[in-house]
Amino acid sequence: MTTPILELKNLTMQFGGVVALNEVNIKVMPQEILALIGPNGAGKTTVFNVITGVYQATSGDVLFEGGSVAGKSRHEITKGGIARTFQNIRLWGDMTALENVITATDVHKKSGVIGALFGLPRARREEKANRAKAHEILEFIGIDEYSDRLAKNLPYGVQRRLEIARAMGTSPRLILLDEPAAGFNPAEKVELANTIKKIRDAGYTVLLIEHDMSLIMGISDRVVVLDFGQKIADDLPSVVQNDSRVIEAYLGVPDDAS
Amino acid sequence: MNLRDLGAGVWERSNRPVRVAIVLVTLFLICLLPYAGGTFLATPVAAFDSVLVYPIAMFVLMSLGLNIVVGKSGMLDLGYVAFFAIGAYTMALLGTHTGLNTWEIMPIGIGLSMLAGVLLGLPTLRLRGDYLAIVTLGFGEIVRIVALNSESTGGPNGIANVPMPPNILGQEYNIFNQKLFFWTTLVMILLVIWLVRRLSVRRPGRAWEAIRQDEDAAELMGVPTLRYKIWSFTLGAAIGGAAGVLFASKNLFIAPEMFTLNVSILILSCIVFGGIGNIWGVIVGAVILGYLPDRIRFLSDARLLVFGVVLVVTMNFRPDGLLPRKKREKALPVKVKSGVES
Repeated sequence: MTTPILELKNLTMQFGGVVALNEVNIKVMPQEILALIGPNGAGKTTVFNVITGVYQATSGDVLFEGGSVAGKSRHEITKGGIARTFQNIRLWGDMTALENVITATDVHKKSGVIGALFGLPRARREEKANRAKAHEILEFIGIDEYSDRLAKNLPYGVQRRLEIARAMGTSPRLILLDEPAAGFNPAEKVELANTIKKIRDAGYTVLLIEHDMSLIMGISDRVVVLDFGQKIADDLPSVVQNDSRVIEAYLGVPDDAS
Repeated sequence: MNLRDLGAGVWERSNRPVRVAIVLVTLFLICLLPYAGGTFLATPVAAFDSVLVYPIAMFVLMSLGLNIVVGKSGMLDLGYVAFFAIGAYTMALLGTHTGLNTWEIMPIGIGLSMLAGVLLGLPTLRLRGDYLAIVTLGFGEIVRIVALNSESTGGPNGIANVPMPPNILGQEYNIFNQKLFFWTTLVMILLVIWLVRRLSVRRPGRAWEAIRQDEDAAELMGVPTLRYKIWSFTLGAAIGGAAGVLFASKNLFIAPEMFTLNVSILILSCIVFGGIGNIWGVIVGAVILGYLPDRIRFLSDARLLVFGVVLVVTMNFRPDGLLPRKKREKALPVKVKSGVES
């Protein structure tokens, strides 16, 4: 059995008296698409926020490729190989699409202010390489034609995809997608599903939060269901679909059944 | 009509030789400015060449420095005068107590300002927005009050007999003929423009831009935000310090009342008035706000009122400043992706 790329161990996250995550254990295997679903307020985005260092877990641990992310700053975690998108789009609107991605690629740059100032050869080389790489990523996601447009002026669907492109710019091994299909029409969802599969097939691991069941059932290798901060299911999409606890969590229990 | 787009349009349509010619002619005309004292530009009370150096050129220099902090990285710094004061006092103290000349003191003054920038930045740049503004405002006041109450800085009397810079290329720095000071400041301004433009299109510029627009997103996309905020703060401090050193050496005398909160606010006004984040706008803003009060000095008491009215009216008609920052998009015909509709 291969070792998981990301492992949440007994992860608990409390905000005052509210338990957002309660002893959650999740393993993400390399090169799989793992979907994280659950009703509103189940703690899905909290999982993302703990993994990326926005919150420090109350107890438990997050292991990425065997090492704990606890205590690392957010940009170090990103540099370490985890990238994410945001539920509500948070691009840098006054930058072009290309600049958004280049800024993400900067994370692995060795040169900083001094190198940029004096135009040191290394800084020049890196600058050129990053530009080429950013174009490559935009091409891969299929939005390279928009590269010179300001992010804020892009159509909504392109902005969503640019978020994914920007995350890929940091050369991650694990990509966290937070509701990438929100607000998409059916055709766009199909296209997105293909893109996500393409990302997985390119060697990335994808952890996905999504509400659209047809999308999830179509592309996920495995589905984890959260409800009130607890994991209630973790299995193949077809199995989860028929799990009575999952149906309960989403639809509620009939009064006479209890 | 839009001045910024007009200028940018001319620039974009020109080829390289034309651009070089534009720059050289403009520079040449600016260099001749000190000789324009007899024309309609003349200031009624103060000598025109002196006004050109301070406030005009010095304001441009400081505005460009503060613009890195406020315009590029979006951090509101209300205590910028502190770095100007540190540079000026470094010059005055070392100039009167040691035999060092202005150019030898310049790197020391810049270094001390940067050090102050780092020391202030490390704990405070974790704050954002209004909180940072309050802390920097306090810092500006602290520096002034320390200078006011300290024996070694001469207290309220300040420091007199600050030495002039040594002759350069056989030219003499002279209090009654400040052309050379103007040209020196001009060289410093050009250096700063080069620095800012260079950094803007590379990693630091992108990091600042990302921090300004969405700091959390920047941090999560791997931008070491604290490090780049401190760099921004420190570079701004360095430019303020450099301006301070030259100011003390030109003015021959400095006192705490020259480094009040008003200066910080005025420099900030130059940036906002001209167009925050756009170096050309900032320069235009600083030139106008530096020049105007001296030009209308014949109004005596009413002059600050007129100055204020001009500010308010202009900001009403051009809320983003005279030459606002706007990234120009190349008007590419974007083809609709055919796959989406199917």
